[in-house]
Amino acid sequence: MSAVVEDKPNSLWRDAWRRLRRNKLAVAGLIIIAALVFVAAFGPWLTPYDFLSQDLDARNLAPSLAHPFGTDDLGRDVLSRLIYGARTAFLVAVIVTLVALLIGVVLGAIAGFYGGFFDKALMWVTDMTMSVPQLLLVVVINASLKQPITLWMEARYMETMNPIYRNSALIDFVLVFGSMALISWPPYARLVRAQVLSIRNRPYVTAARALGLTNRIILMRYVMPNAMGSLIVAVSAGLGTAMVLESAFSFLGIGVNPPTPSWGNMISDGLRVWTNYPHLLLAPAAVLAVVTVAFNFLGDGLNDALNPKGQK
Amino acid sequence: MFAYITRRLLLWIPSVLLVMLGVYALAFYGAGDPIKLIFLRAPGDVAYDPVKVEAIREQAGLNQPFLVQFGNYIWNLLHGNFGNSLTSGRSVWAMISAAAPISLMLGLLAMLVTAVVAIPLGMIAGMNQNTRLDYSILGTAVTLWAIPAYVAGPLLMVALLAILPKGSVPYGWGGVFSVKIILPLLVLSFQPIALIVRQTRAAVIEVMTEDFVRTARAKGVPEHIVALRHILRPVLTPVITQLGLIMITIVNGAIFVELVFGLPGLGRLTVSALTNSDFPVILAITLIGSFLVMASNLLVDLLYPLLDPRASDAKGGR
Repeated sequence: MSAVVEDKPNSLWRDAWRRLRRNKLAVAGLIIIAALVFVAAFGPWLTPYDFLSQDLDARNLAPSLAHPFGTDDLGRDVLSRLIYGARTAFLVAVIVTLVALLIGVVLGAIAGFYGGFFDKALMWVTDMTMSVPQLLLVVVINASLKQPITLWMEARYMETMNPIYRNSALIDFVLVFGSMALISWPPYARLVRAQVLSIRNRPYVTAARALGLTNRIILMRYVMPNAMGSLIVAVSAGLGTAMVLESAFSFLGIGVNPPTPSWGNMISDGLRVWTNYPHLLLAPAAVLAVVTVAFNFLGDGLNDALNPKGQK
Repeated sequence: MFAYITRRLLLWIPSVLLVMLGVYALAFYGAGDPIKLIFLRAPGDVAYDPVKVEAIREQAGLNQPFLVQFGNYIWNLLHGNFGNSLTSGRSVWAMISAAAPISLMLGLLAMLVTAVVAIPLGMIAGMNQNTRLDYSILGTAVTLWAIPAYVAGPLLMVALLAILPKGSVPYGWGGVFSVKIILPLLVLSFQPIALIVRQTRAAVIEVMTEDFVRTARAKGVPEHIVALRHILRPVLTPVITQLGLIMITIVNGAIFVELVFGLPGLGRLTVSALTNSDFPVILAITLIGSFLVMASNLLVDLLYPLLDPRASDAKGGR
C-alpha cells in the first residue's frame, strides 16, 4: 500500500498505514492473516499428505515428526486437513463478504441518498432481519433452501448430464454462501446508509450539485469514496465473522459436510473422541481461535487508523 | 410518557407479526411436503395410498391457502398450541416446555454473571485508560469476544482434562446448584462479558470528561465515591441499551454450549430438529428466540426515558 502512495506524502491512506503500523496487536493480526491467505492460496503445494488419503494403520496418532498435528480416526493427516480447512474458510469468507457487501452497499447508498419510501422500507427490513438471532435464521433458511436447491440441481443434471450438478459439495457451498449472504448484508446496508446520510449534506456535495452534476456522479465520485474508511473496517470485521459463521454451521452439520475439510466439522468430529485423543479437538479449535482473534485485532487497529476522529 | 409506550407497543406488534410471516413463509415454501413425513411414521401400513394422503392433508388443514394456514398457526400459537412434531408426533409445546427451563436458567444466570463481572471490569479499565491494567482487561475482552463458544468450551474441557482425574470432567445437566454448571455458564458468559466490558469502558471514558466529574474531584470527593455516585449512573444507560444484543449473543451461544456440554435444552432441541427437518419445532424455536430479542429491544425502548429523562422529551414530543 505504501508503494502506491509514495508521491503523495500526506494522503489519508499513508497516514492510516503509519498509524496501523504503530499498533503492535494489529500488525500481529495482519501477519497471521497474511500467513493464512498464503496457506489458503498455496494449500495443495504445502500439504504433506493428501487430505483424503486414509492410512488405517496410523489412526488417532499423537503428534509426531511425520504428522505434526497427529492423525484422525481414519488415519488422515490433521495438518493437511487443517490447511484445506483454511481454503474452505477463506473461500466462504471472501465470497460471502463480497456478495453481502454488494447487496448492502447498493441498497444502503440508494436508501441514504434518495431517502423516502425505499429508505423506510429498507430500515424496516434490516431492523427485522437483525432482530432474529442469526443462527436460528440461518437454520431456517438453510433447511428451507436445501430441498429446492437439490431438486433444481438434479433437474439441471437431467437436462445437461453435466456431472457438476451432482456434486454434493457444490450444493453445500451454494447453500452456505446463500444463507450466509442473506443474513450478512443488513449491517453493511445500515452502515453505508448512515455514512451517505452524513455526507450528502456536506458543502462539497452541495457544490457538486450546484455545478450541475447528476446524482449518479455525485454518489459515485463524491459520496462513496468518503464512506470507504468505515466500510473497510466493517469488511475486515465481516471477513472474520463470516469465517466463524462458516465453521459454526459446519460444526452444527448444516454447513460444509465431510469429507470436505472445514475447521467446524473437524471440531465437531474431535468433540466425539476428545477424552481419548484431545489433539483432534485441540488442533482445529486452537487454529480457529488464533485466526478469529487475529481478525479482531486487525479490525480494531484499522478502526483506530482509519477513523482517528473517534479516538480521544 | 403513556402515549409513547402505547405507540411503541403498536409499532412492535406488526414487526413481530412480520418476522413470524417471514419465517413461516420460508418454512412453508421450502420444507417440502410435510405429509410424507407424517405418513412415514404412521404405524403399520407404510404403502403410499393417495386417498389416505389426501385424507390426512384435509384433516391437518394442509390443503388450505398459505395465508389461511398462517392465520391458523398464529391463532393456535395464541392458544399455546405450537402444533406437533413431524418426526415424533409429540406436541411441540411439550417438547419445548421440557427443554426451555434449562436454557432459561442458564441464560438468566449468564446475564447475572455478565452484569456482576463486566460492569466493574469495564469501570476499572475506563478509569485507568491507557494503563497496563486497561490494556490487559481490554485485550482479554477482545480475545473472549473473538473465540466462539464451540471453541472456548472444548479448549477449556481439554485443559481441565489435563488437571482433573479422568472421568470427572463436567458433562451433562445437574441442575443450577451442581458444579457441572460452572463451565457452560462461564463459556456462555464470555461473549456478553466482552461486549459489556468494552461498552462500559467507552462510556466511562466519555463520562470522565464531564464537568460534574471534575467538580466532584475538585471538591475532594474520594475516587471510589466518584466512581459509584457520579460515573456509574450515566454509564449504565448506554450499557442497558445493549440488552437486545446480549440476548442475541446468549441465544446463539446457548446452541453451542448446550451441544458441547451435553445439556438437554432448547439449543440441543434445535439441532436435533434440524437434522430431522422437523419444521414445526424449528419454527417454534426460531419464533421464541426472535420474540425474546424483540421483547428485549422493546423493554430497552420503554426503559430508556426512565433512565435518561432527556430522551423522553425528545421522543414523547415527536
